[in-house]
Amino acid sequence: RDKYRYFACLLRERFDKNKDVKDMVKATELLRAGEEEFWANQHPQPYIFPDSPGGTSYERYECYKLPEWCLDYWHPSEKAMYPDYFAKREQWKKLQRESWDKEIKQLEEETPADGPKTEALPPARKEGHLPPLWWHYVTRPREIPM
Amino acid sequence: MEITLLLNTSMLLTLTIILTPTLLPLLSKTYRNSPTTITRTVKAAFLTSLVPMSLFTYCNTESITSSWEWKFITNFKIPLSFKMDQYSMMFFPIALFVTWSILQFATWYMAMEPHITKFFSYLLMFLIAMLTLTIANNMFLLFIGWEGVGIMSFLLIGWWHGRAEANTAALQAVLYNRIGDIGLILNMAWLASTTNSWEIQLSHSPQTPILPLLGLILAATGKSAQFGLHPWLPAAMEGPTPVSALLHSSTMVVAGIFLLIRTHPILTTNQTALTTCLCLGALSTLFAAICALTQNDIKKIIAFSTSSQLGLMMVTIGLDLPQLAFLHISTHAFFKAMLFLCSGSIIHCLGGEQDIRKMGGLQKTLPTTTSCLTIGNLALMGTPFLAGFYSKDLIIENLNTSYVNTWALLLTLLATTFTATYSLRMTLLVQTGSTRIPTLTPMNENNPMASNPITRLATGSILAGLLISSIIPPTKTPPMTMPITTKTTAIIITILGIILALELSSMTHTLTQPKQGTYSNFSSTLGYFNPLTHRSSSTKLLNNGQQIAQNLIDSSWYKKMGPEGLADLQQTTAKITTTLHSGLIKTYLGSFALSILITALLTH
Repeated sequence: RDKYRYFACLLRERFDKNKDVKDMVKATELLRAGEEEFWANQHPQPYIFPDSPGGTSYERYECYKLPEWCLDYWHPSEKAMYPDYFAKREQWKKLQRESWDKEIKQLEEETPADGPKTEALPPARKEGHLPPLWWHYVTRPREIPM
Repeated sequence: MEITLLLNTSMLLTLTIILTPTLLPLLSKTYRNSPTTITRTVKAAFLTSLVPMSLFTYCNTESITSSWEWKFITNFKIPLSFKMDQYSMMFFPIALFVTWSILQFATWYMAMEPHITKFFSYLLMFLIAMLTLTIANNMFLLFIGWEGVGIMSFLLIGWWHGRAEANTAALQAVLYNRIGDIGLILNMAWLASTTNSWEIQLSHSPQTPILPLLGLILAATGKSAQFGLHPWLPAAMEGPTPVSALLHSSTMVVAGIFLLIRTHPILTTNQTALTTCLCLGALSTLFAAICALTQNDIKKIIAFSTSSQLGLMMVTIGLDLPQLAFLHISTHAFFKAMLFLCSGSIIHCLGGEQDIRKMGGLQKTLPTTTSCLTIGNLALMGTPFLAGFYSKDLIIENLNTSYVNTWALLLTLLATTFTATYSLRMTLLVQTGSTRIPTLTPMNENNPMASNPITRLATGSILAGLLISSIIPPTKTPPMTMPITTKTTAIIITILGIILALELSSMTHTLTQPKQGTYSNFSSTLGYFNPLTHRSSSTKLLNNGQQIAQNLIDSSWYKKMGPEGLADLQQTTAKITTTLHSGLIKTYLGSFALSILITALLTH
């Protein structure tokens, strides 16, 4: 890790030397040379964590992740195995139906005119509102299924 | 007489035991399969298959059983015939032993899978297909087994079908196998048309034309991942580790070589075919060894080492030594399966981590696994008196002392060096050195389901070489006299490879940035083969299709036949006539006057 710091300081020094170049042509050329050097210095086989996209374990359990509306199709004997969840489930669904319009209205108000800038969703602003698209977040399947 | 009966009965009993978990749930309503029942079934089958093997060893019994012919044309019969000869009887116990260990390991490894019984039944189906292939006496049954292992390979590689790369890998496996199947079907067609039967022992003709033999070699290239059709084997590592251990190390990939061993009598007659095998094998073993040098994923390293050993087996077949190839298959099964199981244990303990750059210093934490890994690697390198020695050293001795292609010899020797290099690299990076694993990884080897199979296979890899080579009587005299350098070539080269690996590892500890030389680029992108062939073949095909469609349909029918054709015709006629009717009156008057003058002069 100390080696990384050393080389990072050298690179910063190189960058700072050319900081005050006002000539646009030269600046673009410097940028292009820098980008080429970046590409040439890329690692041929970069280390990718197993769960990140491109890793060995990414999306491995996608085939076991079922959507939550399958729960509606369970047999009553199966539903009886989780009584407290299913007792409240209808109320949750009613809540989702009611808050949906408010979520949409909030999202429409808060996105700028030519499309959303980031993927982050805004939090709930008013009293009694729920954060937009909360249902998909609350009912997402677990990462490593049973 | 009774001995043959005992032999037949015990072999058929083995096969029936294997089939039981597939049939019992259909017959009885309350019976459910479970991983433990399937493991126990395979263990029982292994113990039963030891009977015919010992019968073969001590009484030299072989038999061919034929029953129930499928008559669909009058003079071409396909009997259901089993050939129990040296190869199949030796292969059964080995395959069943390895499968039993792998299934036991898989009960620990796949314990978190929701559909674990389906996984085990897939593995069992694969085993049935593989054993059918081994014991088949005619090409039809062999083809059934061949296709069976191909399909089960597809299903098992794409076990986690939510993952895009697993699906592409499974497709790759099936497509490359299919291309090899073309060769096999070609060979079967030739056999059916010339010899009128698909039995294997009846195909002894003095000179076989090269075409069916090339078909066989193509089939082996596809199934055993030789150079031209190899990308599916490293991609097949997308499947779970027990799948890699069973299919792609010990059993399925030797199906191609097994086919060549079975049809060896017709291969011997044609020297060109043997030379093709030799060169193809040498090329694939070197290419795979080069690619394995810069891989960073343990499973890919072991996959490439499998590919390299398969090339070596192909070289043995090219040298006209089917028994030695079979010996190498058997010994290789033990240590390769063990290597895969060890790597699976390491991966699971580290929580899914497969990159060797993030492993190190595992010797203290996982002693059994790492020592078995070392034993496996030593056996792979051909250390004297471990399993690999008996087969590998013999192959290299024969290679050195026969009158073959020097180029193939050099390639194979170079590949042997590289084998030592990458095995040592893997061992060093995984086990020794300062640890690079993330902190707080709880790892243990307490579970006997995981460590028993590994230790069992370790004993197997140590003893199997000695046992099997002393049991099989050789049909050809092995070369006995050769200069000392030739005899010790394999060991010298292996030691060279070890020294190379040690040098490189000490160099890399002092480097700060990974250099990108031409050679390391070639090796890390697997020789540029994957993108080249995959993209070029599909773009060519699509382009051709587009050209054909464009020329035939669009331009011909819609344009030339109809409006544009008429328009073109009219245009050309119009152009010709406009040149004629240029409208220059003076020229007309002049030519008119000239012609009148000429006629007046002539007629005067």
